[in-house]
Amino acid sequence: MGVRIGMTVSQAIGLCPTLVLTEPDPVHYDAVFSRLLLDLERVSPVIEAAELGRVFVGVQGLERLYGGRERQLALIARATGNAERVARAGVAEAPPAANRAWPRTVRLGCARGKFLAWVAASRAKPGAPRTIDDADRAAFLAQQPVAVLPVSPDMQRRLVQLGLRTLADVARIPEPALVSQFGREGRDAWQLAHDRIVEPVIGRERPQPIMVGVDFPLPSADGLLLAHALRKLVERALGHPRRTGWRVLGMRARALLEHGASWMTEVTLKDPSADAARITAPLVTRLENTPPGGAVERLVVEFVDFVPGTASLQLFARDATSTARADQRNALHTAVREIKQRFKRSRLFHIVEVQPWSRLPERRYALIDFEP
Amino acid sequence: MVTPARATVRVDRLRALNVPRPVTVQTSAQDLPLAVAEAVDQSTHHEASAPPTAQRVDTVLESWRIDDEWWREPITRRYVEVVLEGGTHLVLFEDLITGAWFAQTP
Repeated sequence: MGVRIGMTVSQAIGLCPTLVLTEPDPVHYDAVFSRLLLDLERVSPVIEAAELGRVFVGVQGLERLYGGRERQLALIARATGNAERVARAGVAEAPPAANRAWPRTVRLGCARGKFLAWVAASRAKPGAPRTIDDADRAAFLAQQPVAVLPVSPDMQRRLVQLGLRTLADVARIPEPALVSQFGREGRDAWQLAHDRIVEPVIGRERPQPIMVGVDFPLPSADGLLLAHALRKLVERALGHPRRTGWRVLGMRARALLEHGASWMTEVTLKDPSADAARITAPLVTRLENTPPGGAVERLVVEFVDFVPGTASLQLFARDATSTARADQRNALHTAVREIKQRFKRSRLFHIVEVQPWSRLPERRYALIDFEP
Repeated sequence: MVTPARATVRVDRLRALNVPRPVTVQTSAQDLPLAVAEAVDQSTHHEASAPPTAQRVDTVLESWRIDDEWWREPITRRYVEVVLEGGTHLVLFEDLITGAWFAQTP
């Protein structure tokens, strides 16, 4: 039909009048991506989420656990296939292990260094991982188009205008020439084309559980008071420095009761969140449905499981405007609330025009606090 | 560029962007920059701390001059856009009234 990525809706409908339009569902994408990260963490502890839909998995040292590279790739493929099935079915539970097959849309690439691994993945066919051995690196890189370089669209366009089509063409240009044309981006591009940048995967350790509590001078069984205390404890726990960059997936509320008894409830959020209201709501519901069997002396909230904060990834991802435009505003509001909670003031700013016509650069633009 | 929605801009909350940073510049006989180093702030500089390292200017791209605001406090600057060793682009200007050098991002 000729419908391609980047076309406007009217262009696409012009080419294909029977086109079915599907609204983006960034919350669903986010949930699936979180699930993918969790599944991959079962294979390797070194997981780096580059952006929505792109993950690097560190495999160094996995041989003794799983065996050779093929076996490792099979396990990674299985984990990604799990998330893919969740995405297709729109359910949180994966089918049994016996039904697991190689994923149909996930592309896997295996090479030393993140750039080459990504290029290999982009050249791989779904279901058939592409592995680039050290001996083949130079030849593989040389034939790649300049579009694989992680540089700005403007630089991509100018490279093509200069007649540079492949990384071999880029590698033939002297480094100072690229640097004087493109600055730092030019140097990075030249070094990538020469395979001089081999970045390792940098995994993020999961934070230790965060625990906050409050003692009641007079033991209380008042539901409203306990719900209020839960809200305050969740806010305190969210403000903990260890929580920065992570969303809460699992949490517990515990209470010590009079006469030595105790009460506990455990919640796993369907959509990991860093929003106080979303986290508090299921805890309060549990408190109302199964209240403690006596007056509470001490109430504790504990965040026990986390997933990386992909809301920000989504916000700044390259394809954010096309895939998650609907959710950007919400993500921005959530980010502002979190930052204010953490730092007591907004650290986000608008750029405003002051005298854009001025010949003095410092008079043209200024920053002002962002308050949505 | 994000323009503020409905917000009234209060002048006291504005923070200028791209404020000139004082730098020390070595110049050639033709008055073109050869090397640039961050200027040492005497109020915060400690005796023990290392002096800032000068970066060599790789290429001088272009230069221009601005004479402005002659009706109140005259501004006279000679701008030079350079590429430093390592590829960083930088705009330098010499305040022709005081003789001091400053750096700004292009």
